[in-house]
Amino acid sequence: MPVDNKRVRGPEISQSPLLFLPPDSQISKVSSSSGRQGARGNGDIRPLFARCGLVSQAKGSAYLEAGNTKIICSVYGPRETERKDETDMKSGRLVCDFRLAPFSCPKRGAWIQNAEERDLSTALAESLQPGACLHRYPRAQVDVNVVVLENDGSALAHAVTCASMALADAGIEMYDTVLGCALRQDEERCLVDPDLAEERAESSAENQGRVVVALLPNLNQISGLQADGEMREDSLTAAVRTCVEGCHRLYPVVQQAILRAVKKKAAPPPEK
Amino acid sequence: MAAGFKTAEPLEYHRSFLKESCRPDGRDLGEFRPTTLNIGSISTADGSALVKIGNTTVVCGIKAELAMPTVDAPDKGYIVPNVDLPPLCSSRFRPGPPGEQAQAASQFLADIIDDSNIIKKEDLCIEKSKLCWVLYCDIMCLDYDGNLLDACIITLLAALKNAQLPTVTINKEKDLPEVDTQHKRHLHINKHPVSSSFAVFDDEVIIVDPTTEEESLATALITAVTDEDDQLCAFHKPGGSSLSAEKLHDCISRAVTRNREINKLIDKVTKSIKSSK
Amino acid sequence: MATVQVGEAEKVYIMHGVRDDLRVDGRGCEDYRHMEIETDVVSNTDGSAKVSLGQTDILVGIKAEIGKPKPMVPDEGYLEFFVDCSANATPEFEGRGGEELGVELSNNLYKVFNNKHSLDLRSLCICPGEHCWVLYVDVLLLQCDGNLFDAMSIAIKAALFNTRIPKVHISEDEEGGKEIELSDDPYDCMRLNVENVPCIVTLCKIGHRHVVDATLLEKACSVASLLISVTHKGTVTCVRKLGGGSLDPDSIFEMTETGKRVGKMVHAPLMELLQKEESLGRERTKVGFLA
Repeated sequence: MPVDNKRVRGPEISQSPLLFLPPDSQISKVSSSSGRQGARGNGDIRPLFARCGLVSQAKGSAYLEAGNTKIICSVYGPRETERKDETDMKSGRLVCDFRLAPFSCPKRGAWIQNAEERDLSTALAESLQPGACLHRYPRAQVDVNVVVLENDGSALAHAVTCASMALADAGIEMYDTVLGCALRQDEERCLVDPDLAEERAESSAENQGRVVVALLPNLNQISGLQADGEMREDSLTAAVRTCVEGCHRLYPVVQQAILRAVKKKAAPPPEK
Repeated sequence: MAAGFKTAEPLEYHRSFLKESCRPDGRDLGEFRPTTLNIGSISTADGSALVKIGNTTVVCGIKAELAMPTVDAPDKGYIVPNVDLPPLCSSRFRPGPPGEQAQAASQFLADIIDDSNIIKKEDLCIEKSKLCWVLYCDIMCLDYDGNLLDACIITLLAALKNAQLPTVTINKEKDLPEVDTQHKRHLHINKHPVSSSFAVFDDEVIIVDPTTEEESLATALITAVTDEDDQLCAFHKPGGSSLSAEKLHDCISRAVTRNREINKLIDKVTKSIKSSK
Repeated sequence: MATVQVGEAEKVYIMHGVRDDLRVDGRGCEDYRHMEIETDVVSNTDGSAKVSLGQTDILVGIKAEIGKPKPMVPDEGYLEFFVDCSANATPEFEGRGGEELGVELSNNLYKVFNNKHSLDLRSLCICPGEHCWVLYVDVLLLQCDGNLFDAMSIAIKAALFNTRIPKVHISEDEEGGKEIELSDDPYDCMRLNVENVPCIVTLCKIGHRHVVDATLLEKACSVASLLISVTHKGTVTCVRKLGGGSLDPDSIFEMTETGKRVGKMVHAPLMELLQKEESLGRERTKVGFLA
């Protein structure tokens, strides 16, 4: 391990207290009998709070809260691209940086971006790209920075929604907003917008997995799809359908937030 | 017209305001921007706080982990503060390892924690030379509009006040720690240091709580940290124009009143959380 | 990703061909290119395989080492993937050029194997909480002509099949200290059950249809592809949309359907082939790299 001498260092080894919990209090399984938290139906998404334009320094920004999941995103640019070696200069580049704050998960994360975060950055970029009119920004790049302040499940899905709101707030030309929705399949049960406990719960079922869908609602195009686990093909298709429905359900909230930001910006200057 | 003037001649623009003893955002020279505080909003952290000073937004999350104490100090725990300036908070920061400013801020906080004894590190010891707590205080800037240090110290203090640690006992048979998350305790805050930052314009005019723009135009920057007993904990003036002792004294006395205001604010917010529970 | 430049006219030609289920090299939309597999090609690994799929050439080597189990799963071993993009494959990979692609490929491999049934990780455990086998799966890209994922997954499955892990015995001395002893007999080894190891099928959307096993040329005509990893039972363990384009929900459903069908069909002949090769034993003439 290279020594990180640009940060204040702690002890070489430290362990999360969660490793020393009495064995019976370990994270429970997805119990099929008990309902979800907050009397939520299996197909319900958590109440969503969304605002645009919170980061004063950014071209556009958005903050999104779904249950305890808290995500902030800011967009800078279009500015001159840093990478000159790209062969395709006719269209702009979308550079995404996805980060989980060190305190955002039950176990503390490191400051240095890990493989999972890099993977999520790529997934985010590929989900957003079809929504943005990048050909309008030749030789330029648009930076999308996402920080997850608290991860209580469905982080990627909400990050996609949040980022597309920030892009809209920044005035980047877009074909459509991009909405994200996640799902946890456990045998025949479909839990839409799972929280962290539901997302990470161990399951011995034959047919279980996690699905994340990014949707362009008006064009009815899926711009991002990720599925992990072990699923039958028919439940996978059903899961994608359910996610698409879920996306449509959060569309009004997103629309409202963007509209609000536009109205605020377009407000006539006060009379003197 | 005003906008053009601001971009073309930023320094003259600011001077024209300072001549009238006020600032472009309408503040007096000695006025802080409105400071708001939100405590305990991140449930995955053991303690957390979000501070806004004007536009500047900083969030701190504390995570406690278990470790072995060092050989030099077998009865002390660790407090590890780190400040991050992600590309999210301003276009001036790039992704990658922390830049100079972030490193300096982290070190500044580490020094204040060590020197002023915010928390007695002995309190973090569970069993001598065997087990102690490590408090990782991770501070992230979400919106950078100047006066980072003040915001960092307030959020750190508020988050430490908010932090709760589970009870740990060592199982003698297995020689392994056992954690009880049902019974949590707050940390004892020994000292309450709060900082006040100042910017010096044209070697003489001192303004309080500078924004990014004011920081970049200033000829010197000063940060004074005092505790609740009006004692000076730290004084930071990295170069810049020289100042008379008298002026520095003014800064310190302003810092003393600021300390009272902020500690009152932290207490008020902490109480309101307790009562709402 | 390694790319080629394609002219507009050529694109149209390829797309029209795909529309009529006739591809440039004469294949139908759901046909793979000619594939060659050889296992046990690198003698200093515990298991290896070389797969060539058309012009795509991939070598996989597996090394088993004793490591410490992850704290969250003390009774399981684990796999580590590393994909090396050799500059031999394409000049683009020179220096650090292939790094990004390598990380992307290995990340996806982790996802494909991130489930309980792909490989019995418990069988890799030696002593819970203390020692386990760590399988380092090193993938080397020797030549790239599209469809890296499919070729990689087949090569990994073949290499895992070929892997022989030496048996270990744990002896306890009087003070309760444990000692690991490696078996002296080189033939006394453990094999892995690769029945459930999934194969990846990448489907490229070209025009209104999708094709299996796209060459680089065909890939350049497509804006989005779907990666699906399927086990022999038809269970889907991983799906990823790749590329900068978007897909119609209906075509996604069609593609997963095709992916499952094609993926299921790959497994049986692959296993048959691997078993047949093994039954030849030492008599087998090794083809090596010059085939």
